[in-house]
Amino acid sequence: MSATTTKPPALGRKHTGSLVWHLGALLILAVILYPVIWVIGASFKPSKDIINSLQLFPGHPILSNFKGLADGIADIKIWTFFENSLFYALGSVVGILVSCSLTAYAFARIRFAGRNLLFSLMIGTLLLPYHVLLIPQYVMFQKLQLVNTYVPLLIGKYLATEAFFVFLMVQFMRNLPKELDEAARLDGCGHLRIYWSIVLPLCRPALITSAIFTFINAWNDFMGPLIYLNEPGKYTVSLGLMMFRDSDGVAANYGGMIAMSLVALLPVLLFFLAFQRYLIDGMATSGLKG
Amino acid sequence: MGTAVTLVKDSVPTTRKARSAAPVTKGRRGRRENLAGYLFMSPWIAGFLLLTAGPMVASLYFAFTDYNLFNSPKWVGFDNFTAMFDDPRWRKSVEVTAKYVVIGTPLKLLLALGVALLLAQSRRGQAFYRAAFYAPSLIGASVSIGFVWRSLFSDGAVVDRTQSFLGFHVGGWVGNADWVLYCLVALTVWQFGAPMVIFLAGLKQVPRELYEAAEMDGAGPFRRFWSITLPMISPVLFFNVLLETIHSFQIFGSAYVVSNTYCGPADATLVYTCYLYQKGFKDAQMGFAAAMAWMLLLAVALVTAVLFWSQKKWVHYEEDAR
Amino acid sequence: MGTGTNVERRTVLKAAGVSAVTLGLAATACGGNGGTSADGTVTIRYSWWGAEERAKKINQSIALFEKKYPKIKVKTDFQTYQSFWEKFQTQAAGGNPPDVFQNAVGFLRKYDRRGILLDLNSQVKAGNLSLDHFRAGVTKVGEVDGKQLGVPVGSNTMALVIDKKVFERAGVDPATGWTWDDYFKALKTIHDKTKVPGDTGYFAIMYLYDLYLRQNGKAFFTKDGLGFDKSDLTEWWTDGYGRVKAGIVTDPKIVAQDQPKSSLSAGHGASEFTWDNFTVRYSAEGSSTYGLAPIPTMDGKHTGQYLASLMLSASAHTSHPKEAAQFIDFMVHDPAVGTIMGYDRGILASTEQYAAFKPTDTVSKEIAQYEDTTAKSGVLGTITPHPSGADTVEAAFLRIGGDLGQGKTKVTDAVKQFFTESQAAFQA
Repeated sequence: MSATTTKPPALGRKHTGSLVWHLGALLILAVILYPVIWVIGASFKPSKDIINSLQLFPGHPILSNFKGLADGIADIKIWTFFENSLFYALGSVVGILVSCSLTAYAFARIRFAGRNLLFSLMIGTLLLPYHVLLIPQYVMFQKLQLVNTYVPLLIGKYLATEAFFVFLMVQFMRNLPKELDEAARLDGCGHLRIYWSIVLPLCRPALITSAIFTFINAWNDFMGPLIYLNEPGKYTVSLGLMMFRDSDGVAANYGGMIAMSLVALLPVLLFFLAFQRYLIDGMATSGLKG
Repeated sequence: MGTAVTLVKDSVPTTRKARSAAPVTKGRRGRRENLAGYLFMSPWIAGFLLLTAGPMVASLYFAFTDYNLFNSPKWVGFDNFTAMFDDPRWRKSVEVTAKYVVIGTPLKLLLALGVALLLAQSRRGQAFYRAAFYAPSLIGASVSIGFVWRSLFSDGAVVDRTQSFLGFHVGGWVGNADWVLYCLVALTVWQFGAPMVIFLAGLKQVPRELYEAAEMDGAGPFRRFWSITLPMISPVLFFNVLLETIHSFQIFGSAYVVSNTYCGPADATLVYTCYLYQKGFKDAQMGFAAAMAWMLLLAVALVTAVLFWSQKKWVHYEEDAR
Repeated sequence: MGTGTNVERRTVLKAAGVSAVTLGLAATACGGNGGTSADGTVTIRYSWWGAEERAKKINQSIALFEKKYPKIKVKTDFQTYQSFWEKFQTQAAGGNPPDVFQNAVGFLRKYDRRGILLDLNSQVKAGNLSLDHFRAGVTKVGEVDGKQLGVPVGSNTMALVIDKKVFERAGVDPATGWTWDDYFKALKTIHDKTKVPGDTGYFAIMYLYDLYLRQNGKAFFTKDGLGFDKSDLTEWWTDGYGRVKAGIVTDPKIVAQDQPKSSLSAGHGASEFTWDNFTVRYSAEGSSTYGLAPIPTMDGKHTGQYLASLMLSASAHTSHPKEAAQFIDFMVHDPAVGTIMGYDRGILASTEQYAAFKPTDTVSKEIAQYEDTTAKSGVLGTITPHPSGADTVEAAFLRIGGDLGQGKTKVTDAVKQFFTESQAAFQA
């Protein structure tokens, strides 16, 4: 975005070329962002107009869809779902940051017997479809009476099972200059000190990227909560949202559902606006560095 | 999301490094390093045994049993697998998933590459467009967007109206068994931003001089793309193909939400994982579901293997990349 | 839901910062398993299916119960019908079913066979639960092989819900004792005159087919299987599909899109067969006026109808059978609960509640009248508990029958598929 202001305006043929380029890009942008803009407009429409009115923004916007949200659904406050999602997302972030950075440090900075074998196993889990583990994990948590708690959803995050983040951090740590910890080692620092006071601070960008991705993944997670949570009071936003539409027997509150959809998207969109550089750079580099 | 290229490039050097490092790990210092290594690794090791390796073994065992959660698993040999092949709904789910992967992934990657090429042409506003195009990748998997999609593709909504305006009336896609899958395809294609960002980063690394030299030789834009850009970004392309393919095999949430939880109509959106979910959690046929999961694993492994095998023929790694 | 859980969660949020271990423990504490606390208060868990409105009413009823029995706390959770049984199944299998739960006739044998359902007769003998004062022998619905596995909260029967305005415009007036021929002719008239398809897809509704079979001396289920053969179903579905093609039954494409709304309330069909107590939904969803019409017959008299019922059952695994029984007793007999619940789960089953609730809205009045006339006309038969696996069979019938209209499968293949899936379900 900053580039636009610094360059002098181009002239002549180049100028037209640039105009065409921008027109093309804006056209694609309009199509791509349409659903997002649509949901904003639709949430201010009465239920019956949502599908059939082509007007992006209603002539007479109404607030009743949002006001309805304040009443909650089925005696459950909407905020409860957000609180639950926040708990799940933040709990995941803490887990991922701690467990994956410890693991990554071992892979990147400690030479121990069997490291390569474990590393290959870790990479293997990266490509493993989660569904192979779904049934036995469910059976296990069910036998441990842990269904309808957040334990099945969170425990993996505390045990570094998300190989993608381990990998991201390993890549980052490998690129840190070796001299740093060799010097620290000569000063008599152990691995814990090196990890904590040298490597972690230097890994901040990778940690931030992982944290944001983790947060968003947990916020969007649907299958996990769907399988493990039973009580509406424990539902995350994703499941709470389904309640708006599932009302069998009673009329579906379409306007409320769309309004709730928008509200559920907001945290992710805000996160994105605030941290987009970290996300995109993290995404871009993860595929390239090595 | 971001891994395999490095994996390919890394695995060999790492092994070599390790071999040369082997002598260091001997002796007292080595033992201390081992201890430190395993201590740091302990959460991962626990997670691997408890949540990955153990369940995998269990899953393999369940696959050969009749198990409905109420009984204890009863060994049935290959019955689940033969039942699977006899089951028209299983075959349908394979067909639906294959269609989704084979149509959705190339379209998504083509669009990602196309837009990346477009954006790479100018630095002006690039960061803005890049961010805006990337946004759908973050929200595409949410239930909210599932609802939005269902609405946009309903009878009389914008897609239907546009299509009718262009002269071929279909009605809403959501209720139409012939069209509803394309509604899901559109949803995955919409999230082209993630591979695009990776393409863009790859394109940035192509040395300018190569293009200049080619231009002097009189190569047109198409030729330049074919003989410079494509080979130069082939590792990134490989990476995107691998990840997007594996990812699409596992689609669940959007199919579940867009189809109003039934994965229909007429099983038209009965993607593999959706059927697995129904078999496991609705019909409580855990043995069958586990067998299905293993078939999925085999399919993914096979596709991965084929891709890795094929990369020798079309992926160009720069030797001095590190 | 209450403040209690919020406090717990806040504690947990704090714990999240501390360490993984504390987190795990705190979250487990959240899970809670109904037990007896130090002061002798017993907590029971009550699960049910339904939606928002029912949730509010049930919470109010529970408040009354807890006032009367201060030593018993009731924790409740609910899902939609589909998820309810998914969750129930896995909980029951894990030995952790809810203490009290909503139940229906299709699940009695299935869970009785698996030893999940408490025979409430013991609690009746112990004086914790009364089976007296029920309307028209409706308690029979919860009886299997001499065991009382459920107590009805409300009764319902299949009905034909019509869009009155469309029927009027077409000049069709459904009369008691009308035949299937009359009915299908009416659908055609409606379509010809108003362009609205006459029905939203009768041929995929299992309970309607059951009535049709009963009119012909059969029934959908026997004690352990299906009560009809492939040729019966082939005929039923071929006719149904033919009517979709002719446009007098709503195109399933439209029905799929209208979900979760009904196509009747969306204005894409003029009538729909459903349980009479569901009628409430149409007036809430749609903009027309809706009414109840009689079920078509073969012989001008017998509709095959019976009173079905939602029930409350208790878990055989509960550690508090007495409290569970007291709760059921209160929920089915207490007049105040009757006034709160109304006809949400069918016409109130016990005479106390039936007398206490005087419907004021036209829809409820009409439902009550419908069931009353149906009962008085003496056509009501008795329902037999469905075989184990009936729930899966019902879902398969709905799915395969509904998909049929998409024109993707031949009727004979659909019938074959249905029979295969049914056999598997009965054996599971």
